[in-house]
Amino acid sequence: MNKKLLVLIFSNFLNAELILEITQGTEDPYRVALVQFEGNKNISKNINEIIRNNLTRSGEFKIFGNDDLISNPSDETEVIFNDFKILDIDYLILGKIIEEGAGISVIYEIYDINKSKKIRTSTVFGIPNKNRQLSHYISDGIYEEITGIKGISSTKILYVTEKDNFNLVIADADGSNEQILLKSSDPIISPSWSPDSKKVAYVSFETGMAKVYIQNIATGKRELAIENSSQISSPSWSPDGKFLSLTMYQDGNAEIYILNLKNKKLTRLTNHYSIDTESSWSPKGSKIIFTSGRSGSPQIYELNLKRSNSKPKRLTFDGNYNAKGSYLPDNDGIIFVHRENSNFQIAIKYFDENYVRPLTQAQLDESPSISPNGNVIVYAIKDDGMGLLAGITLSGVKFRLPAKMGSVREPAWSGFLR
Amino acid sequence: MFLRNKINFLIAVIFLSSCSSMNVTEERVYSDDVKTVEASSSDSIQYDNKAVFASATIYFEFDKSNLTSKSIQILKSVASALNENKSIQVTLAGHADERGTREYNLALGQRRAETVSDYFILNGISKNRISVKSYGEERPLAIGQDDESYSKNRRVEIN
Repeated sequence: MNKKLLVLIFSNFLNAELILEITQGTEDPYRVALVQFEGNKNISKNINEIIRNNLTRSGEFKIFGNDDLISNPSDETEVIFNDFKILDIDYLILGKIIEEGAGISVIYEIYDINKSKKIRTSTVFGIPNKNRQLSHYISDGIYEEITGIKGISSTKILYVTEKDNFNLVIADADGSNEQILLKSSDPIISPSWSPDSKKVAYVSFETGMAKVYIQNIATGKRELAIENSSQISSPSWSPDGKFLSLTMYQDGNAEIYILNLKNKKLTRLTNHYSIDTESSWSPKGSKIIFTSGRSGSPQIYELNLKRSNSKPKRLTFDGNYNAKGSYLPDNDGIIFVHRENSNFQIAIKYFDENYVRPLTQAQLDESPSISPNGNVIVYAIKDDGMGLLAGITLSGVKFRLPAKMGSVREPAWSGFLR
Repeated sequence: MFLRNKINFLIAVIFLSSCSSMNVTEERVYSDDVKTVEASSSDSIQYDNKAVFASATIYFEFDKSNLTSKSIQILKSVASALNENKSIQVTLAGHADERGTREYNLALGQRRAETVSDYFILNGISKNRISVKSYGEERPLAIGQDDESYSKNRRVEIN
């Protein structure tokens, strides 16, 4: 396989809705031939384009289309493995679109060129007007078969936009298919997914004061997380979905509490005259990290919930601003906002290392959120005063998501949805 | 071996399932439709019974919530106005500049407003007349990414 540094700049692919910009890719991508699927040409062109974009954005794939290939087999009988071996192709994808009434389904096959054999046959049954989602499902199947890691094309991102109004928006992981969950003339901050990805919690200022709301995505039903006269903020769901950690200002100062969502009972976690906020649960729910100003500057601390009266343990020591931390999905480190000189960057710290690894280099990067497979971090950037979303894979691929609804910020990545 | 119809395909699935090392899957796309909700904004700020002379803005340093000597001069005159007019209720809204995280800035804005509140209470104003809240970095006065804009946004508005 070619050991080439893949540096690609794509903009405005055939699908005008999607602007994908990849500034740096992995050194050793999988070389995959994606032959245009059999069936309705318009549909297959669209589906293949989405799959190509999804796989390319991961930074781990170099995709070859019909024009890049020696032969374009329409089914297994026409596959000549040597045509692909000559091009150093690792895998071949064939597919067929089946139209059934208003919906379509797709059968796709994956061939391992080096082994000269078919390794997967999959069917995705679609529903009307959801061809994009169907394409994301296929992308994830291909990604999983080849890399052995669960794909994230079918996951969603939640974020806040501001343009005249404030909107809480849900979109596909590629930034497309934006749907508005909440419109408000007052600020919305800190969106957080329930672990089953069916509800969201967020902070709205619609009453003139920060309050935490819980909203059902499909039904729109919403309620205050807890009735209380104080300012309430920074919600984070426990992995089992039974608790919400919150910041409450009952005695004037920001302190962290855990709310039992069933009986609405509150348990206080912190008690310090400095700021304590931005709580976030460990993947197994046994620990919480939070930002505290107790050392004189914002730093990230960890509390063990399994031990009574345990003291918060400081996790960050590099620099005088480390905040909004969250755990990596496999619990081997944290990502957070880190200030280096006067720049706010996204950084990672692994628990078995005693230093911080900065991941970005701009001035005002914030709100990092990691994909459920642990491979990609989405975060907010400022470009010429405008808020945008950017992504970086842990292998170093950088990309941007399109801003279509004004200034965008505070992305939060869902769990797996398929 | 791309098959012509679904029945043939299902037969193939059954056949292929029996082969080792060949992965066969089936899945169904679920609807991802959402319901859009509109938040109704309540008129939180009412100026009816508030005299103009109890309005002021107090500024702060980056990541700080302590009062400067200039701020104390301003607060002195606001406090004496409040002491002379016992009917006036006052709202203290804390703000931060956009640097740093939103939740930390919300807490920082609250801290700034609490500092002003503490000053008033120490100067004889009843706690019941004061309401304290924070907008963090969400309501900037100046929108530039420069020190001048930032310094205008680190404030407590007294109304």
